[in-house]
Amino acid sequence: MTEEQYPRLSGEWMTPRRRFLSALYGGRVDKVPAMTLSSVITLEAMEIADAAFPEAHLDAEKMARLAATAHENLGLDTVMPVFHSQLEADALDASTWWGTKDNWPAVDDHVLTDPDDFKVPSDYLERRSFRAALGAIRLLRKRYPDVGIVGKVYGAWSVGFHMVGIENFLMDTILDPDKIRRYLEVLLPASMMSAHAQLEAGADAIMWCDHANRELVSPDMYRDFLLEMHQQIQAEVGGPSILHCCGETTDRIDYFAEAGWDCFHFESQVDPVKAKEIAGDRMSLFGNINNPTVLFSGTYEDCYEACMTVLNAGVQGVAPEGSVPLGTKMEVLAALADSARDYSNAHRPDGRFVTHDPPVAGSDS
Amino acid sequence: MVQLSGIANDTIRAEIEEFLERPEEIERNVELFSRASPEMQDIAAALIEGDNVTVDRLTSKALADGVHALEIMDDGLIAGMGIVGIKFREGYVFVPEVLVSARAMKAGMAHIEPILAASGVEPIGTVIMGTVQGDLHDIGKNLCIMMLRGGGFTVIDLGVNTSPDEFLAAVKDSEARLIGMSALLTTTMPNMARTVEAFKDAGLREQVRFMVGGAPVTPEFGEEVGADGYGKDALACVALAKQLALDVRR
Ligand code: B12
Repeated sequence: MTEEQYPRLSGEWMTPRRRFLSALYGGRVDKVPAMTLSSVITLEAMEIADAAFPEAHLDAEKMARLAATAHENLGLDTVMPVFHSQLEADALDASTWWGTKDNWPAVDDHVLTDPDDFKVPSDYLERRSFRAALGAIRLLRKRYPDVGIVGKVYGAWSVGFHMVGIENFLMDTILDPDKIRRYLEVLLPASMMSAHAQLEAGADAIMWCDHANRELVSPDMYRDFLLEMHQQIQAEVGGPSILHCCGETTDRIDYFAEAGWDCFHFESQVDPVKAKEIAGDRMSLFGNINNPTVLFSGTYEDCYEACMTVLNAGVQGVAPEGSVPLGTKMEVLAALADSARDYSNAHRPDGRFVTHDPPVAGSDS
Repeated sequence: MVQLSGIANDTIRAEIEEFLERPEEIERNVELFSRASPEMQDIAAALIEGDNVTVDRLTSKALADGVHALEIMDDGLIAGMGIVGIKFREGYVFVPEVLVSARAMKAGMAHIEPILAASGVEPIGTVIMGTVQGDLHDIGKNLCIMMLRGGGFTVIDLGVNTSPDEFLAAVKDSEARLIGMSALLTTTMPNMARTVEAFKDAGLREQVRFMVGGAPVTPEFGEEVGADGYGKDALACVALAKQLALDVRR
């Protein structure tokens, strides 16, 4: 069979949105998705979208435009507008420093010392951080009916870091574990409301961030404080769920699967082959392209090679391990989508995945 | 050769047996604790267990019994923190345990510090520590600070989001000539170079020594920005500080 006898069709078999959701559930796909789950925003993207940090964090239109660059300019199957980690905490009165164009926002004051003092404000979902994020999700849904939209939630554990201060919070896991359980109990509704609101606004799935990685705590701590709560989340979140936990997590992936997450978004420190071995087909895996060495300091070829390694390990989708450094070059990030396409081409029984792109002379081997 | 059985305290013996693997570290700790009095061993054991109430009680009792403040600091508090640091490096304990032990250390140092200050005993050095501009990750920096204090240093903590000017001002306002910079974000790593540059511009580069660290920082990067040393973890930070302190001792 030659190219002349059977010319390429144009048009993909799945929309990016279907592809993303199918992969999230471990289903078959026409092409492995390449995604943004955490932020892929760069200084370059801010120029292209004419929407920059920090304004884009609190302006729905700018946020949506900036988020769209992931699909428009990087060819990714998803967009993800909640770039920062302050969505819930800011609306819960933790004081936020919104950063600068080339710096990330962060909490700059912790407000909670007693779980019994905590109440979700009645106008929680109408506050500035939510107005922007929910507005951006609605705009993106309207503009991109066929693209996957990822909503991002900080879970009770990670919101606890912001509200209480990470050191006090971690110390109390040992000194006063019941107090931590109480914090988790009172903060969970705030995370859950955020998830529901983002799904209702049009997000296809929720990426739930709870940072219980090896750099911070033992796997027993995950089991004792989070496992049961995470099982409860599965029952109540009302949409596909991806767990995000940075850092080295190999020793707790089994618990993540036991918690019932549909998918786990993992970091480059985790060996994808090992992760796959542990997760089996209980939970999909998305990851894990290294930020500092591969995406920030590396080349297109480095990124392409790293993507192939993780794809060959059998993960269901490729994505950067976490929010990419703002100085990352888009030219390097382009290898995410290219590698997913080429990998899928090579692994189809007919040897070819059908793309929108007209075949480029000489590149089709 | 000194033997493990020469150590009176059960907890300390068990800790050394169970958690220490490097021969030189075993030897150093067995030697240190067999030399230390049983009372000092008890203080170290309570610190390892994160029991601030017991550290507080035993420290004031030892002082009342006439034990020298320096001995309590070296053979009790610092010795105990040394074991915690090794357990953390090897992954036997995690950040919460270190924070709790550091709290116990503080409880003991609250008695020791005023005495040392009044008697004019010099700390082995003063270190200025800060997370660089734009970066708000401070857990690693704070652990380094705890281990530095646990290693006998005085530390001036500039907190997070520290501009080159703030590092400069801290050097001008103090005796400290040793500076530690922490960065966890690739975006903020270049601010280490900017800080070193600011010291060059101010004509102060030769007077100070820079240490750098944080998960994405490498020894090569440290060299590139013109730092004097790189530390992989909190124990390495203390070792490096001790080495660089010799250069700037005055
Ligand atoms: C906890 C954490 C947070 C917490 C920070 C809380 C706090 N008060 O510190 C929160 C949730 C707030 C947070 C926020 C963000 N984070 Co964060 N975070 C982490 C995480 C999970 C752990 C870091 C940590 O504390 N490790 C434990 C400590 C003990 O280790 P350490 O810091 O490396 O320190 C040790 C050594 O490095 C050394 N050391 C440290 N400093 C120094 C200094 C000297 C002089 C020496 C000698 C040694 C030394 O000794 C320490 C003890 O052994 C990492 C994941 C990871 N893989 O590291 C991500 C990570 C650092 N974060 C990341 C990102 C992207 C962010 C955000 C931008 C996310 C977002 N989209 O908003 C924001 C940025 C906020 C800001 N402006 O700074 C990325 C950074 C990627 C990169 N390299 O650029 C990481 C790597 C996660 C990832 N895979 O994407 N984060």
